[in-house]
This record gives sequence, C-alpha cells and structure tokens, in this order.
Amino acid sequence: MTGWINGIGWVAARGCGRGRTAESLPVWNGSLTIPARKDLFDQADLRFGRLDAFSRTGLAGITMCLRDAGREEWQQKRSIGTIAVSSGGCLQTDLDYLVTMVGDGGKLASPNLFAYTLPNCFLGEAALRFGLTGNSVILQQTGGRQHDVVCRALEELTWSACEAMLVGFCDVPVAELSCPEGGYGSLFLLLANTPDAVLKSYGKLERHDETLLFNDRSVAGFADLVGQCLKRR
Amino acid sequence: MKQVVLSRVAAVTPLGEEIDSLWQQLLAGRTGIAPIRRFDSRHYISHYGACIDGLTAASGESLMVPLLDQVAGKLARLPENCRLLVATTKGEIDRLEARCRAGKPVTAEALPAAFLERVARRFGLLSPVVNINAACASSTVALARGAAMIAAGQVSAVLVYAADIVSEFVFSGFSALQALSPEFCRPFDQQRDGLNLGEAGVALLLLDEELALREQEPVLARIAGWGAANDAHHVTAPARDGCGLVLACQQAIAGAKIKPAQLCAINAHGTGTVYNDAMELTAFAALFGRNLPPLHGLKGSLGHCLGAAGGIEVAIAARALQEQLLPPTVGCQHPEATAVGRIGEQSQAISGDYLLCCNSGFGGINGALILQRIVS
Repeated sequence: MTGWINGIGWVAARGCGRGRTAESLPVWNGSLTIPARKDLFDQADLRFGRLDAFSRTGLAGITMCLRDAGREEWQQKRSIGTIAVSSGGCLQTDLDYLVTMVGDGGKLASPNLFAYTLPNCFLGEAALRFGLTGNSVILQQTGGRQHDVVCRALEELTWSACEAMLVGFCDVPVAELSCPEGGYGSLFLLLANTPDAVLKSYGKLERHDETLLFNDRSVAGFADLVGQCLKRR
Repeated sequence: MKQVVLSRVAAVTPLGEEIDSLWQQLLAGRTGIAPIRRFDSRHYISHYGACIDGLTAASGESLMVPLLDQVAGKLARLPENCRLLVATTKGEIDRLEARCRAGKPVTAEALPAAFLERVARRFGLLSPVVNINAACASSTVALARGAAMIAAGQVSAVLVYAADIVSEFVFSGFSALQALSPEFCRPFDQQRDGLNLGEAGVALLLLDEELALREQEPVLARIAGWGAANDAHHVTAPARDGCGLVLACQQAIAGAKIKPAQLCAINAHGTGTVYNDAMELTAFAALFGRNLPPLHGLKGSLGHCLGAAGGIEVAIAARALQEQLLPPTVGCQHPEATAVGRIGEQSQAISGDYLLCCNSGFGGINGALILQRIVS
C-alpha cells in the first residue's frame, strides 16, 4: 500500500503551522493554546466561534494541512476522507456539558455543547467547510501505536474510492489527566493516490505489514515522519 | 477478494436477550419503549426510552459493564487471531456523569482506552483494539471496516462489539436539541416528531467465508458490499438531498456488483425525526426512482440505540433475508406519501437475495451495507 504526502498541517505548542512555510519542526511538549479564528481565517466566522476546544484544534490542523497542499479552495465536493486518532477525544467537552446538565434537573443543559460531545463532529465541520465526502471517523485505540492510524488511512485509500485521505491525531488537555503519547494539539497529513500535480510532494509513504516506510526509511512516529518530510523540502 | 460472511450474533436489547425471541417480538409488533425510570426526566421534553429490563450496575460501575458481560456470555469460543472492533458513541458515560455529580476528579478510567481494554479482556481478544467513532453510524462503519479487512485477506475473523446505553447525558442533550419525541416515536410516519432513545449490546462475528465453511461455522448472510460517505453539509442535521447517504449506498451497490433493482428490501435508519426520515426517503428516491423496495425501521421497537443501532439492525436484517420477511415498523401508521405501500405496521413478505442496511449520524456521516442471502 502506498500514498503520497501532499500536505502537512498542525496545531502545536507554538501555534498553527504547515509544512511548506514552517521554519522549524512543530513542538509537541508544552502548553497548547487553542486556536482562535484569526489564527486561521481572515474573515469573521460565526461557526468557528461556536466550536469547542477539541473541534477548533482538529479543524485548525485540517485547515493548515489543506492550505499546505493547495487544496483549501474548492468548487465541487471532493472524495477526500478523514481519519484521526484521539486519546481523550471530546472528554473535556463532555465534562463542560455535564456542568450545564447536572444543575436544575437538566433544565439548563447546553444544546450547543452537546452537539460537540461526539469526537467525530469536527470531522463534519471540516467536511462541510472543505467539501469532503469521504468516510470520516475518529479512532480510539488501545494496544497500538499512535501512528498506526496512518496504516488505517493507507488501507482506506487502497480499499475505497477516495482520491485522498486526511490522517492524523487530535488531543487537547482534559482536566487533570496526563498528556497522551505525542502530546497535545493536532497534526494532519494529506495522503493522496498520486503526487500533487502542482506542488512538489513531500514523498512516498509505503506500508509493509504494520511497518511504515517514508522514502524507504522506517517511520518511528508522527514527529519522526514530519521531521523526515520537512528535511526533504 | 475474499468473501465475507456474518457468522454469529449475540445481542441484548430492550426486547430480549436472544435473537430468536427478539425476532418474534418484532414480528408481533411489540415495543421496548416505556416510561423512563432510570433518572428523573421531568425537565426534559420526553419521558420515554427503551431500557433493558433488569440492567443494573454495581456502585461506581457503568451499565456498560453488565451489558458487556451479558453479551459476551452468549458467545462461544472465538476463532484464533480474531480481531476486535468496538463501536460505541459514549461508552461508560454514566460513570463519568456519576463522578461529576459526586464532585470526584476525573481519572484515566474515563478515557475510551479503559473501556476498550475491558472489552478486549472480556472477549479474550488481546490484540490492539480500536473503537470506531462515527456517531450513530458507528457500528455500520465498523462492520464495513471489518468486512474490508477480511476481503483484503488481512485477517480471517473480526468481532464487532457495538453498545450504548440510555444515559441522562445523552437524553438531556437530545432533549435540549428538541430531537426527542414526547410520545412513542413514529419512523417514516407523516406525524413523526422525534426519536426515542434505546440501548443495546450486540456482538457480530464476521468471517472469511472459506474459514466459515472449513470450520463449519454458521453462515447467517454474506456481507456483499459496503460504503461510507459524508454529507459535507452540517454537523448535526442531515443534508436535505441525502447526498452522503446516496453516495454510501452507491458504493455498497457497486461493491456488491449488483443493480439497485436487485435489492429486495431496505433496513433504514428511520429515527423518527422529521429531517432524518425525509432525507432517507429522498435518498432512496434518488437510488430507486419509483421502484422503492419494501423498507422498515426498528427504532419504534427498540428506540435509537446510537452506536449499537446498526449492529442490531444488521442482525435482524440477516434474519429477515433468511425468512424473506420484514418485521413491522412500529409507529408508522400513516407513511409518508413516497413510501405508501412500502412500509407500515404490518410485516411484509420480501422476495430476493440482497438487502440494504443504512445508518446516518452527527458529523454528516453515512454508512451502508448490503447483505446477501446464502441459500445452503
């Protein structure tokens, strides 16, 4: 199974970034600042203001990735799927919603917060903003590696009719829980069936069993993969 | 490509703990929807839900624990190297709610991984476990993924465990969104006004057909095709034109290498909300034109079981194909004009080998599966 990495975007400790304009590698250790609208979009955006922190972080990573790949603008919906792994998912949003629910017998339960108490909701937000019609799922896992999700995306790319897959991770701080593998923030890669026709692709990703190879070098994790991609620019 | 079959099913639902008795209850037009007693619903717009009788948890535990125990206890030994996919939308959300009410801090037990480890231990499947979170299409998407893994020759057995419970967390949220029916829900009825929540646990074993035949495992149906697509329209509302559902169904039909006319029946999502059911009928019109096959929905009988909905529906759809009989759609007294004569509160005889199952969920996701009748 193979795919071409045509875009990289992230939200990390030092803010939003993307592969083709980054001056340094994303930093995954450190406190995360949840992206604001002005970090991403020039125009006022009511929808963005309604999003919970998890969705903002995930949507920002996808936005930066599509921008990096030159695929942010669109006229026709596109068969691009999205698959992301998350350790805590929208657990903090669940807790925030519970605060509105437990008092007054549920009379003040927030419909807006409830709408984001499923971790896949930000994939829907990304789908409608960018016209993405492929499969869109959040994976939560145990017993595997965080970057196994890239293998799942290569499978989806091979087995489905999708022209490309956005694949990555998204996690935000949850109450007092410890930081997950890979740190807080979000990272997305645009994996396509072919190298981009205009922008130079970062390179070719191959899967042999559960081993990932990027331009014939093994991949140890998301941070390693991004490092290899940025070194090749 | 390997052929994939649905081999075994174990389920616990508001209408019983055995597929045979559930089937009989469905045919009799019974419903598990009843007044909610699990929590105080006086401030919500509905007071009805479909809860499993006698489902209780030890202090501090989630109802997902006894539900898992009951389902797992019904499954005989699983094949070696069987992979496990889980489909739950909110997992042990009742426990999180209880801790929050008690002012206790959140621990790592609240993370999805803790529940996944519990499921893996209970089924004795210790390889990496993945939960597929695709809202109310979770189990359909998980079954599609499991089928794709087997078809590609990656594995020969996949167990999909799908479960969700009726919790005040979800109930209050759907109430706040004005999505609950104040009465019993009426899928595809002209007067429908919302959904009722339900709960269920279901385990479905998918096998490589060669393995099933070699090991003399049961074969309930073949999974002939699958698809998944996003509306790219709205986070909580379906696309009016059903574009995502149409796409998912087209993928499934193409994968099964059949024409739409070969589908003899549809098991629809049919939540009973105004917009979902209208969207589905629009999508079916786009797929079938004036030749809409007989369709039905189970949510008037079982409530909307969220992540488990698709799993239960596939289990019943396999039985419907075998019996060539669609159970009634409880609550559908006056069907929408485009479905008149194709759905109702009576059982319907069907004739054919292929049945379409589909589900849709928040985030704009749609999943579709095509079951094929195996005539031994």
